[in-house]
Amino acid sequence: MEAIAVEHVTKRFDAVVAVSDLSLHVEQGAVFGLLGPNGAGKTTSLRMIMYILAPDEGAIRVLGHAASDRTQDLIGYLPEERGLYARMKVREVLVFLAALKGLSEAEASVRVHEWLERLDLAAWSEKRINDLSKGMQQKVQFIAAVVHQPLLLILDEPFTGLDPVNATLIKDIMLDIREKGSTIILSTHRMEQVEMMCDAICLINHGRSVLAGDLRAIKKSYGRNTVRIEYTGDDNFLDLPDLIEKLNHFGAVVEAKLRPGADPQEILKAAVARGVRLTRFELVEPPLHDIFIEKVSEAHA
Amino acid sequence: MRKIWLVVKREYLTRVRTKGFVLSTVGLPLFSVGIFAFTLAVANRKADHPLKISILDNLGGFAPQILLELKEKLPDGQPRFQLVRAWDRPASETAAHEELTKQVRDGQLDGFLEVPKDILNGKEATLHTRNTNDYQTTLAIGRAVNNAVIGRRLNDRGIHLNNLSEVIRGAELTLVKVTKTGESEENGQGVLVQLSIVAVLYITLLVYGVMTMRSVLEEKTTRVVEILVSSVKPSHLLTGKILGVGGVGLTQYLIWICTAALISAYGAAVGSSFRPGAAAPNFHLPAAYLVYPLIYFLVGYLLYASLYAAIGSMVSSEEELQQVQMPVTLCLVACFILFPVIQRAPNSPLAVTLTMIPFFSPILMVFRITVQTPPFWQIALSLAICVATTIGVIQVSAKIYRVGILMYGKRPSLVELLRWLRYT
Repeated sequence: MEAIAVEHVTKRFDAVVAVSDLSLHVEQGAVFGLLGPNGAGKTTSLRMIMYILAPDEGAIRVLGHAASDRTQDLIGYLPEERGLYARMKVREVLVFLAALKGLSEAEASVRVHEWLERLDLAAWSEKRINDLSKGMQQKVQFIAAVVHQPLLLILDEPFTGLDPVNATLIKDIMLDIREKGSTIILSTHRMEQVEMMCDAICLINHGRSVLAGDLRAIKKSYGRNTVRIEYTGDDNFLDLPDLIEKLNHFGAVVEAKLRPGADPQEILKAAVARGVRLTRFELVEPPLHDIFIEKVSEAHA
Repeated sequence: MRKIWLVVKREYLTRVRTKGFVLSTVGLPLFSVGIFAFTLAVANRKADHPLKISILDNLGGFAPQILLELKEKLPDGQPRFQLVRAWDRPASETAAHEELTKQVRDGQLDGFLEVPKDILNGKEATLHTRNTNDYQTTLAIGRAVNNAVIGRRLNDRGIHLNNLSEVIRGAELTLVKVTKTGESEENGQGVLVQLSIVAVLYITLLVYGVMTMRSVLEEKTTRVVEILVSSVKPSHLLTGKILGVGGVGLTQYLIWICTAALISAYGAAVGSSFRPGAAAPNFHLPAAYLVYPLIYFLVGYLLYASLYAAIGSMVSSEEELQQVQMPVTLCLVACFILFPVIQRAPNSPLAVTLTMIPFFSPILMVFRITVQTPPFWQIALSLAICVATTIGVIQVSAKIYRVGILMYGKRPSLVELLRWLRYT
């Protein structure tokens, strides 16, 4: 059984086609990355999966059932735009949202308490939401998404606004939830997070799927055509237009995409010839970042 | 249904537990009774400073007679009207007139009374003053002139009277309101109660309507609504919200009605124990004064709250809200402006028509009921029209709401709104 099966779904708003003939399959227990530039149709797709919107054409199944108000209770959702009832107390908000997901209020209270402990917020449970810092509100909102033990967890930019300690905490919880058999949909613009966490991805552009499948397989299909270099010294040794198709400077690191058939050894030679000190020289698959840009600009061309 | 109930409960509890609820429950009736009592008191207040007047007497010898009739005293014993000067048949009428006008303009005089030569033949006297709205003063002077003219005419016909004002003193008029259930003496408290009831109705419809609207907008701007609609159907969310906020209003009404009924019963008991056998003092409120406002509040609230909720879902910010809510709020304000129409002729075709219009009837019909209870079929008809309209409005509002809560940015045009109604 698939966690999500989206079959040839189209959604229009008047003349605008937000999602066009989209098919999407997510295995149960996977961490699935839903990617795409702004306005590509990600939110509309997620809203249809959550039965907030109904597709004009096509069908959506969630955990084996046609999407309906009953599948809603199986899903946990952390929207990109955060916000909660500012004047309500932390515990009350969470119990309310958990009860809306089908928990009894007694059970919701117990679970909310456990989660507040786990995320180090127990001392704040009787405080009002707007007395909390941004980061704490983020964590409260994360609890709202996971408190009812959803079989499908949809997280939109889960790490924005979190410090490294809290980001690690949230990441560990995500892995733990997945360990217990739930499926996670991760929608983000942070490609390095996708590379580290996702098993499979779907890249949407203009409402269509332009790239989908197992992340390792996708990267492998591009081959090891990129050299990642760290060095001290002048960078004009990289002025090798015959060998290098594109350079990406990240400050401390440079990624050079090789032309087909180019020998990375030539770059090494050039560096030595110029007396540049290399601290890293690694042949890698293209970063997802590059694949993203390539796929999206292809569609524009 | 369980989810609707959860939404109702949240909306209700977060509001009832606030200080604002307690304050408005106690304060609103006191405020609306207070404001009208204050207005009535100010309007009927006795003057507290003497008025300086002059009389331009073109008839001759008439000023003393008028002055005789202006014997009213101030609370401190001074005469209320001080005659600065009586101009008896001045050589130049125009010059005197100009001089007096100047004095009034400069504030040396509060006013002057001009008596024409042939006042006895029906020519009008004129009072020149800076403030023509002080009806107590103008009434007193008018009565004085009137009495003086009558006295002079009687005198001319050979009837000499020293105690003229006593002879021609008019009879007072007491108003007794006749209703289906009996009669009750009327001395201002009736109007006070009527106005207070509809003022409370007006304020509560506005306050709870706007509260629903803000609640919708709050969920939209904080984006909680995204989480909510991933758990609840928008129509259920809207239903729960309207019922929850309405429940707060209903609670407030029940508190008021119980208090009013208690005061009414207690007042009657106290009255009859002080004056055994005497009629109970007029603390009594007819049951219709309590029941109809409640019924019309419920229907009117549902109507206005669903309109306001749709508006709250259309916009994305407080500023936009101010503009878009105007038409709805004006509907409510119009009711207040239309009060006099009902008050003067509660059974005129215009009044009957106005109390059938669903956007006005929740307030105006209640006012009409308190002024002069119309036949029951009219009340039933106005309620039926209002309920039918409300059902229609709720359906349209729910469709707008469903789309609106997920739309950010530009406010929809009317054409776009119509398209929203067709979305699935």
